Amino acid sequence: MTFASSKSAPRAQPSTYAPAPGHRFNVGDPVVVLRRFPPGHRRTPYYIRGKSGTIERICGAFRNPEELAYGFDGEPRKVLYRVRFLQKDVWPDYRGPAKDIIEMEIYEHWLAPAPGDMGVPHQNPG
Amino acid sequence: MSVNHLNRGPQDIGGEHAGAVDPIDHGMKFWERQANALRSVLQRNKVLRTDELRRAAEDLGERYSKLQYFEITTSALRTILLEKGLITEHELTARMDAVRERFNVPDEMESPVKKGTAR
Amino acid sequence: MSDNRIDYYAAKKHAHDHGDHDHTPLDEHDDGGAPSEYEIMSRAMQELLEEKGIITAEQVRRRMEQFEEEFPYRGSRVVAKAWVDPQFRKRLLDDGKAACAEMGVDLEVDRLIAVENTPEVHNIIVCTLCSCYPRALLGMPPTWYKSRNYRSRVVFEPRAVLKEFGTELPEHVTVRVHDSNADMRYVVIPMRPEGTTDWNEEQLAEILTRDTLVGVTVPRVKT
Repeated sequence: MTFASSKSAPRAQPSTYAPAPGHRFNVGDPVVVLRRFPPGHRRTPYYIRGKSGTIERICGAFRNPEELAYGFDGEPRKVLYRVRFLQKDVWPDYRGPAKDIIEMEIYEHWLAPAPGDMGVPHQNPG
Repeated sequence: MSVNHLNRGPQDIGGEHAGAVDPIDHGMKFWERQANALRSVLQRNKVLRTDELRRAAEDLGERYSKLQYFEITTSALRTILLEKGLITEHELTARMDAVRERFNVPDEMESPVKKGTAR
Repeated sequence: MSDNRIDYYAAKKHAHDHGDHDHTPLDEHDDGGAPSEYEIMSRAMQELLEEKGIITAEQVRRRMEQFEEEFPYRGSRVVAKAWVDPQFRKRLLDDGKAACAEMGVDLEVDRLIAVENTPEVHNIIVCTLCSCYPRALLGMPPTWYKSRNYRSRVVFEPRAVLKEFGTELPEHVTVRVHDSNADMRYVVIPMRPEGTTDWNEEQLAEILTRDTLVGVTVPRVKT
């Protein structure tokens, strides 16, 4: 039984209570974290930049921490996702089982469609 | 050290090799509980935001890895309070002198902060 | 227990205001040493902010009490309820913040994500960038959660770190690491151990220690 098909797999539903209007990605979409190294306050850890995963859930739209950190109001809000990565895709020499995973929160402006995905805008499931 | 072109902050340590984890919770000293509560009240009162404190902590650069957790947060709080003009450097120096005197701290305890070599 | 400590600064200030300079040993320093420069700085900042009307001493005092006497006991109560009440468990998984609010627990954060351990999946929480933690649910993070070693290593060798906490997981169990790196906060719903069928919520809360709710250990029934 794969993790994804397990009855006990973590829920991966879009949030119904923290709206993310106009979100670009949907649950299950393959994405890649931008491999960029700008100065300043960033919530995207260095180790995940350039890595590929899939959208685990849409968390909602939140004030942009990269602006809040400098005393601005963080508007417009940015859509925040949880992205699931296979550990072996993040750490080439990962020593645990191949199905081990790591998840974290990534803002939309740090994500791009993964290669293979044509970047066609998805229908918003509402 | 030359310019860090990757702009990897001192806080961004996920994935680095490090020693064994000490699974014991060593608790908090009294002043750490005070410092934590002070920070928390300021956030609750919307005087400052978590992201501002994080940024100020990251800007400690190489000092970040030399300081303990609440030393980092206290330094960061100082930076943000000064930046927002809520206190002045002069006020803080004078008040720290007064507190130091109240606590009867001997001269040899005087710190880099008082001598102006620390941020 | 902590009342005399919380009062210490007030008492000291009072003594100072009354010209009492007897230089008695400073009993609020757990290690017996002189106050550090950061302690002095923190105290000085608090005093200045009080004088400017930005905060009150009572707010700080009340906050210290909450962190010590309320917050550390909430998470185990919430998860114990999730163990005995499947409907509540579902609501906790759907919207952790709202479910906690039902119990009168204000999490003071945007969102709480509860993740459940199963026979196939074990969850473990870390914040590599700082020490994000659901403080109003679990209290202050323990020393190890804030440590460089934990923050650095859990993301790439979670099983080795778990072993250091005495937790060994079989290969068929998927380890699911959560880097709490932005606006969400997390709590683990551990598996309820065998031998607890007739336990009430209070008894269950006893074995739902902080470490089990972060995912570094699993609840155990003493035999």
